[in-house]
Amino acid sequence: MVRTLLLGSSLLFTTAALSQTTLDVVAWKGNEAEPAGLPELIEAFEAANPDITVELSYVARKDVDKVIPPRLQSGNPPDVTMVDSALVDLWGGAGFLTDLGTDSEWYGRIQPAVSDILTSDGSILVFPLEVIGMGNFVNMALLEQAGIDKAPLTLGELKDACQALAAEGIAPMIFAGGFPAMLFVGANGLDPNNNLAASYGSGERTFVGDENFNASLDAVRDLVDANCFDPALQAGLDPWATAPQEFRAGNVAILPQGAWNIGNFSSVEGLDYEFAPMPSQFSDQGLALDLIGPGWAIPTDARNKEAAARWVDFFSVEDNLNIFLEAEGAYSPFTGGRSTMPDLAAPYTRAREQGSLILWPFSTLEFPKPLQSEWEDSITGFLLDIDGANSETLQRWDDTIEDNL
Amino acid sequence: MRARYSLYLFTLPALAVLFLFFIHPIILTADMSFTSFKGIGESKDIGWRNYERIVSRDRYLDAIWITLFYTVIVVPALTVTGLFFAAILHRLPAIRNFSRAALYTPAMMSFVVIGYVWQFLYSPLNGGINVALRDLGLGAFEQNWLGNPDIALFSVAFVQVWMFTGFTCAIFLAGFAGIPEEIGEAGRLEGATSWQRFRYLELPLLGPSITVSVILTTIGTLKTFELPFILTNGGPDGATRMLSIEIIDNLFGQYKFGFASALSIIMLIIVLAVAFVQNKVLRDRELSS
Repeated sequence: MVRTLLLGSSLLFTTAALSQTTLDVVAWKGNEAEPAGLPELIEAFEAANPDITVELSYVARKDVDKVIPPRLQSGNPPDVTMVDSALVDLWGGAGFLTDLGTDSEWYGRIQPAVSDILTSDGSILVFPLEVIGMGNFVNMALLEQAGIDKAPLTLGELKDACQALAAEGIAPMIFAGGFPAMLFVGANGLDPNNNLAASYGSGERTFVGDENFNASLDAVRDLVDANCFDPALQAGLDPWATAPQEFRAGNVAILPQGAWNIGNFSSVEGLDYEFAPMPSQFSDQGLALDLIGPGWAIPTDARNKEAAARWVDFFSVEDNLNIFLEAEGAYSPFTGGRSTMPDLAAPYTRAREQGSLILWPFSTLEFPKPLQSEWEDSITGFLLDIDGANSETLQRWDDTIEDNL
Repeated sequence: MRARYSLYLFTLPALAVLFLFFIHPIILTADMSFTSFKGIGESKDIGWRNYERIVSRDRYLDAIWITLFYTVIVVPALTVTGLFFAAILHRLPAIRNFSRAALYTPAMMSFVVIGYVWQFLYSPLNGGINVALRDLGLGAFEQNWLGNPDIALFSVAFVQVWMFTGFTCAIFLAGFAGIPEEIGEAGRLEGATSWQRFRYLELPLLGPSITVSVILTTIGTLKTFELPFILTNGGPDGATRMLSIEIIDNLFGQYKFGFASALSIIMLIIVLAVAFVQNKVLRDRELSS
């Protein structure tokens, strides 16, 4: 009798174990340093899908290029993997990613500008998770010391703020030659009312004689004249370590950077700041620079495709996605829904709502990858020789585009 | 005869490992350098196009030049500083072991840690070096250490020299230990000063140590990647962009595996050529002295 009972229960356990699916998920978020709400989301997903156990493997973004391609090519990929636009282009182009279907329920809810970029030949290979803002972090306490009570949204306001701050002996702005300077130059060169990014990227339109980009470089000179920053001093400043550290320490009033720094800056006690759109010649509300963030993709050879599809669908539910977005300090790539951005990002959110925004062309691949490093280098060179002709800088961009065709 | 065959037989496992893990990857890299492989999917044969691109673009020739120039700065500096400290410590046995360990400590630390620490020290905004200069009344010497293209390469080189002086010092101290006591004793009896003993007795006898030190530091410096990557990422405007940074950028920044392979083969040829010439010159010098 006892033996029969034991046999029966062991059979029951074996059957349950056999029907349990282990979903192999790879992501560069979800670790202790950047949880992105994933531990909480996995728990909720497993509760809603008791037949699935999620095994999340954290792989740093820089390691994804080395770890995942061998798995994709050997036919042993993860069931779901985090991807960005460059990886979608590379892996999808080689046929290693599954079409998630433009007939899916969530596809119709993606913001049109985002879905246009992500859809290729009638198929969509990625479920977009977030859109991340890029603009100016503004230390409101320092601005207040200079008698200013709102973050600058126009070029005029920015120059006035710089002059007032400099007069008070406060360092007005970080304008490191790499990423921060790129944001300003991009925001003043790309017209949101006439998106020509793809034309520049394809070589159809050149930078060198372009009125907008010439004006953008001239605007940088205007900032120098307004004492916003010392170009030679800031040209080689590290935009990823030194620049945010200076803002955290309250040593500088304005820092062009991405909203992914919100968590980092909010952890500094007493740092009173706002996240605002980039002042631009094209807008009175400032220009929001949206970067299309990572998403989920299902490899072609995934073993548990059905479970993987359920994982993707789980994120398409607004309440679930909002957990991720809130932790990330990001906007939803879907239309409608409740915003999870903190109040300190209100100026940026307002600009987005008023339609004063562009999708950052390096994240949409409208600008080719090699142009990004050329922008960083050449704008640094421009800052080091601020009186040099604009054409010296702009020609380098055209050469890179031509080289990449 | 049989014993000779046995000797060859015993080398087979080592040769197999050498082929599998060293020669075979080089053959694969050379093969990939003639393709437009993106790291995944099919690779397309494109002949010599990657190499044509390298020799026809200033960007890559500049990277080769910067790599060589950086090596010319770092190797002599490492040799001189290592020799200087070794010569002093050889004469101060009481503090030799402690000082050797202290000098070697930076070489044992992670490049990443050292890179970030020096980045903050070099920072033009409240960086440690500029603040110290200001506090010492030497504000006129403040510099944008990593942001000025004229001095950025020297600033990166200084960190590398600081980091690896202990390494070359250890090599020279081993060389000093191999010099018989009697030689120094004879010099002293002949009335030679400390400098004369170093110049005319010890330095010629340190020939093999100099050869080892120069060849090892040259190979290591030609392949340098971590410090310039962390400190400047090749900037400002390419002033510190070495071949190794260019390779990584093409590999994982632009997914041009074929092109990066071609750059790697060029780098390998440069390293082998420089090491071969150096070895020949230094060995000949050892024999003639």
